[in-house]
Amino acid sequence: MSNSLVRVASLSDLFEKSGACQGSYYYLAGGTDLNVQINKQMIKDSTLFFIGNLSELKGIEVKNDELLIGAGASFGQIIDSKLVKANACLLSDALVNFASPLLQNTATIGGNIANGSPTADATPILLALDAQVEMVSAKGSRRVKLCDYFTGYKKSVLAKGEVIKALVIPIEKDKSSFYKKVSSRKSLTIAKVSLAAVYSKSGGKFDSLRIAVGSLNEYARRLPKVEKVLLSGGSDSEMKAALQKEITPITDLRSDADYRFDVTYNLIKALGE
Amino acid sequence: MIKFNLNGKDVSVDADPLKSLVRVIREDLGMTGTKIGCAEGECGACTVLFEGKPVTSCTMNLIHAEGKEIKTVEWVAKSKLGEIIKTAFYEENAVQCGFCFPGFMVSTYYYISNGGTDDKESIKKAMSGNVCRCTGYEKIISAIQRACKDAGRGVK
Repeated sequence: MSNSLVRVASLSDLFEKSGACQGSYYYLAGGTDLNVQINKQMIKDSTLFFIGNLSELKGIEVKNDELLIGAGASFGQIIDSKLVKANACLLSDALVNFASPLLQNTATIGGNIANGSPTADATPILLALDAQVEMVSAKGSRRVKLCDYFTGYKKSVLAKGEVIKALVIPIEKDKSSFYKKVSSRKSLTIAKVSLAAVYSKSGGKFDSLRIAVGSLNEYARRLPKVEKVLLSGGSDSEMKAALQKEITPITDLRSDADYRFDVTYNLIKALGE
Repeated sequence: MIKFNLNGKDVSVDADPLKSLVRVIREDLGMTGTKIGCAEGECGACTVLFEGKPVTSCTMNLIHAEGKEIKTVEWVAKSKLGEIIKTAFYEENAVQCGFCFPGFMVSTYYYISNGGTDDKESIKKAMSGNVCRCTGYEKIISAIQRACKDAGRGVK
């Protein structure tokens, strides 16, 4: 048996059909990650629900001091969005080098989070922006902070029958931001280290700070211990000790653990200066 | 049966809706200008215009095309701008084996028709999803710069 595709007309139609589905199933949106897995037969004998056309998952809007980005929004739409530029420019600026313009036009932000890769480009940026994940199921909707969303390598709190509906970013004024993706080339590449930060500073001292990193643990995460050291004006060696407790870089085909650690340390130092 | 518009004509395809879009275009619709390189979205040989935007058709499925407008290199090549791009690549010796060329042609068409200029860095960014393994990028960039200038002058 191979994979089979099921069309859905709305989210409620999706919940009805997925609720009755025997065996494993996936949600197909842009397809940039899933098709690679299908071609390599990492996904087989499964049902794929096509959610790529659902208007309930599209759209970018501002409501109650929050920027809501539909899970089905493509990276191209996010980069081009005036609302994103005006309210969370870190996101649109940082995603310019996401994959390639060709993939930006189909890959969705919801898919980037749902696929759950520790190297996903959107995750550290959204973590630094203090984003929440809005999930919806037949039972209703709920929100979870992105920093509480991942529970392990490609594991999350997203339950069977739930779908990511939107990423919600609180709109903050007078904040500065920092982003760096370290990789072998500029585009079409997977990060060796990526670091995003949102902060405010006065007199050379941090008043507020959120730092998030990707590609350094089994899932992208905030660095609360490092943040605490920097907020209290601690020394570089204190920051380094905190960082050692918070990241567990690995050696793989893209880079090695020592390089990843040193680069992360240097990026945080650069952020502090 | 899945219906969509290919190069200005309505088509319907009776195939697995999960079949790779590039394979549908080549095998079911006989348009073989679009190539399959890496088949995972990295090389851009399969670039087509999807609702006017360039995409990798190898990472998409037939279902994505339903009700949409797709234009392949065959359509681009017949347009006035397509002629200018072809001539520029020819004049600058920017096509060696030719495998990546259909993808570059579609990306270049999109770039120039959306106001792209002959600025080298902008061209490199716009072409970052298209990989060439033999001609070399310098000649390709020169060709695109030439096409930008020729298109601006209305050269045919």
